[in-house]
Amino acid sequence: MAHCERASKPLLQCLQKTYTKGLPGLQLQSTRAFQSTALAREEAQTETRSQPFYKAPDPATVSNPRLERKLLRQGVAPIGSRRRRVALQDSLNIPFEQLPYQCFQEARKILVADREEKLREITSMREKISRLEGLSTEQAGGEQVKKSKLRAMELHLEHLKIQADINDPLVKKKFEDGLGDMSKPIYRFLADRKWREYRRKILVQRITQMKVIPDVIPHCDPTLDTKLYFGRRQIQPGEFVDSKLSTEAPKLNVQMFEGGEKLVTIAVVDPDVPNVETDGFDFKMHYLAVNVPISAVNTKVDLSQLSTESQVVFPWAPPVAQKGSPYHRLAMIIFEQKESKALDFAAVKAKETARENLLARALESRYQLKPIGAHLFRTQWDESMYEVMKSIGFADAEIELRRAPAERLPYKRRNTANMR
Amino acid sequence: MRTTLSPVLASLANVFRIPLSQTASRPAAAAAALSRFNGNSSSSNSNSSSSNNSTTSSRQFSTTSAMAKRKNAGPARDKRITMIRYFLHHPLTPRPLRFSRTRFLRHWTIHRAWHLYQAQRRRAETLELERQWHAMRAACEELRTGAGDGGKLFRKSMIKTGIFKDLFPIEYARLQTEGPSREGWNHEWKAFKK
Repeated sequence: MAHCERASKPLLQCLQKTYTKGLPGLQLQSTRAFQSTALAREEAQTETRSQPFYKAPDPATVSNPRLERKLLRQGVAPIGSRRRRVALQDSLNIPFEQLPYQCFQEARKILVADREEKLREITSMREKISRLEGLSTEQAGGEQVKKSKLRAMELHLEHLKIQADINDPLVKKKFEDGLGDMSKPIYRFLADRKWREYRRKILVQRITQMKVIPDVIPHCDPTLDTKLYFGRRQIQPGEFVDSKLSTEAPKLNVQMFEGGEKLVTIAVVDPDVPNVETDGFDFKMHYLAVNVPISAVNTKVDLSQLSTESQVVFPWAPPVAQKGSPYHRLAMIIFEQKESKALDFAAVKAKETARENLLARALESRYQLKPIGAHLFRTQWDESMYEVMKSIGFADAEIELRRAPAERLPYKRRNTANMR
Repeated sequence: MRTTLSPVLASLANVFRIPLSQTASRPAAAAAALSRFNGNSSSSNSNSSSSNNSTTSSRQFSTTSAMAKRKNAGPARDKRITMIRYFLHHPLTPRPLRFSRTRFLRHWTIHRAWHLYQAQRRRAETLELERQWHAMRAACEELRTGAGDGGKLFRKSMIKTGIFKDLFPIEYARLQTEGPSREGWNHEWKAFKK
């Protein structure tokens, strides 16, 4: 018997006795749980007792080191700490809502009553909306009035839907475990709040500090949580990416926090291509895809897997930075298409022919796009950059850029009298 | 006479680098002053006492604590941080509140329910006050239009002149409460008579 098992057994037994004696009124699925010895767990076990415990140990309750090792050899890791597993062996397995604490139960009563109240409000609000929709524009008092009323009612309905579930401890628990169902408004709300607490702040800071905002697009208010992966590695916003890693197109995880589906345009722009003739910098479009469907549950977008017939205008071009040039920012912008209508792919493909100097601002105005998500990574000259340039046939791979030496200041005789 | 720290506290102060100049220097200074006074009065052992004085005074009257004077004392630390650390790690400080997952969730549930309950109560109170205000307003309106005297009664009742002239309104004399006190009226109360 394991050490902590031996230590905690009498205590647990004592607790078990007091529970079963002290709570005769508690309703459980299994009434046998209150007959001091036979537990629901054992009941379940006796049915499957065809083979003893040591032959097929349960990873949730195994506490013997020998059996743990046996399980590990089978490739199954025991769940939680040994202390927890020992406690689980003798627990009553009462569901969370039925835990016998008076204050907790009173609190739950208040919360349940409030939830029912909210549900009633939701149904009444839905009826109101349908009644208003049924009215003609004259009866409702003009088109503008009807529209604004409907909009306000829908917003209130969304608010009520969130308020109905926000006090539920099980919803909170599920969300914290990452098991939240993103098709439900409450989980989307919680995820949005969590994103806005930290990750969105970082993203906005990076894209403003590195001047993506005025350089590539004039304004962006991100509402999508975007994660960028090269291979299996997640890239934080603004991180330097190894040139070998970025030869393949990245994968995206785009989390939307609204219901419904959206069609988006994804563009990757490099605003830092050095131009020696003009002594300035040019733009280059490294990737452009239109009509990409995303929704709150459908979050994965693999840029290399999008269809070349109907979505990808420019396939992925590996970012390169010549030796001696300053680092290149690769800004990925996700544009929302107007009213989620599909763009005419053939027309876009015919119109956009050159990657060079294709501005994101131009795209924005030409196709009525609105930026709703952004990401950023950087690339610079590294060991593998030369090979990457060779493999994609980059023309000026051998050239090293140098800054033009600053013009010399005219000679000025030192005023030595001032130096004394 | 000399106030001594307990050995535990002294060692803790040593560990956390809390200079004990306040407590340590005062009795020493007093002792030095006392010895000097003795030396002046009795000239017999003045030589030995003065030499003793000079050695002690050079240490005792320095405002730099012994730890801070050392060469490898490290960077100067903020005394507040030292104090915070001292009390945080003191054995008498209770441990931080730690909850298991379910216990925390229960705690959270109760917390949310309590706040919800309070919000509901506040809202009910506000609505009740609003209802009362509207009822009073309706009554005034009724008096103005429905009494049939052209609103004379209403105007008379709205005259506010001379309110504070003779007496101060009694309700301003105490804190306003929602309802009457538990005892109601104190009938035994008598004005103080000279």
